[in-house]
Amino acid sequence: MSAAPELPALDIDEVRRVMEDYFERGWTDGLPVMPVTESSLAEFLAQTNRDPGEVLLAMPHLNRECTVRLAAINAAMAGCRPEYFPVVLAAWSALEAENYVTRGIWQSTTGTAPMLLVNGPVRERIGLNSKGNVFGSGFRANATIGRAIRLTAINAFGLRPGELDQATQGNPAKYTACIAENEEESPWPAFHVEHGFAPGDSTVTALTMRSVAHIEARHTTVPEQLALDLADTIRRTGALIHETISACIALGPEHAHLFARAGWDKDELRRFVYEHAVNTREALAAAGKDAVSGKTRWRLSSAHAEAVPDSTPDADPVRVLGSEEAVQIVVAGAHNAGVSAVIETFGPRGGAPAIALVR
Amino acid sequence: MLERAGVPAVSICTEAFVVPARAMADAYGVPGFEFVTIPHPIASLAPEEIESNVGRVIADVVRILTEG
Repeated sequence: MSAAPELPALDIDEVRRVMEDYFERGWTDGLPVMPVTESSLAEFLAQTNRDPGEVLLAMPHLNRECTVRLAAINAAMAGCRPEYFPVVLAAWSALEAENYVTRGIWQSTTGTAPMLLVNGPVRERIGLNSKGNVFGSGFRANATIGRAIRLTAINAFGLRPGELDQATQGNPAKYTACIAENEEESPWPAFHVEHGFAPGDSTVTALTMRSVAHIEARHTTVPEQLALDLADTIRRTGALIHETISACIALGPEHAHLFARAGWDKDELRRFVYEHAVNTREALAAAGKDAVSGKTRWRLSSAHAEAVPDSTPDADPVRVLGSEEAVQIVVAGAHNAGVSAVIETFGPRGGAPAIALVR
Repeated sequence: MLERAGVPAVSICTEAFVVPARAMADAYGVPGFEFVTIPHPIASLAPEEIESNVGRVIADVVRILTEG
């Protein structure tokens, strides 16, 4: 935008009246939303052969459900183009399959956000960014698809902060969080292919996450050193509410190629991280997390009245990952520096990721 | 849920969760549902401090069980 851009003419009073009306109804995330009419909604609904009344996801504990129509209204309000809607629908399928949302995780004090990972040709088709600034701003498809999920959480499920959303702090990804894999600059098969889909399939993976931790590693060409930097970030005691955690490593292309040049594939990196994401008993004790509660199984000090030994009392050091599958690996970002990230996904599990096909 | 199953029950929450507790009661169609509230937090309290909180609210618990 220049210092004195020529602005389009329109009835600004009418636009502001509509914007203010949406704010007054509580239908926003704090930012202005795109007004929706039945005619603009019809363009979204035309992108799918699913019935507008079909329930996409129910939260019986809240007595609320999200239909295809409600998802479309919120996608339109988020600023999506109609052709993004099949990706939004797949996101809801993946979130349902992940099985955290339906159990109240969006109400939790932990304050998770749903990170979406998109693979396949749909990335190119709708302009999803997988390269520079992949976690940042600047790309309409990424920004609005992630936001469509948040607005639906607010409007269809009533998950407003301080009411049904009890997040102590939340995290910035609660505005929007949608990335695509940089398949073109990855030395390995794409994430969805690794999990049994065809390269020509487009998929959305749901990753309920707590934070994105940045890894600076411009210093090395030794794969073990880089892998230890990643493992050290994953094992941090501050991440431990349960005994075990899960994580998704988003490798910058430079780091992915460093591993590939050394002959490592994703499984080898996964195995190394699983073996090395550990805390010594001494480190756990120093943080007051060397035992678990006999009631909640949450980590606490062995001096606590509820303390019982954790499930591997003879292990020292102690693993934070319950299985190799508890760490997933994707390639994302620009091929321009030794930077990666650990997406701290929520939960103690180590099963297969929740991936849904874009139809 | 327990009361719908015929079991008298009292919900206790800390002051930090009064607003979401009311929102949940609304979602279940029982907007006037009465809670007993205790000071926040509880997770980091010593057992004696928990006991002292119990002493402060036990009369309310009995009242809701017998009147409500």
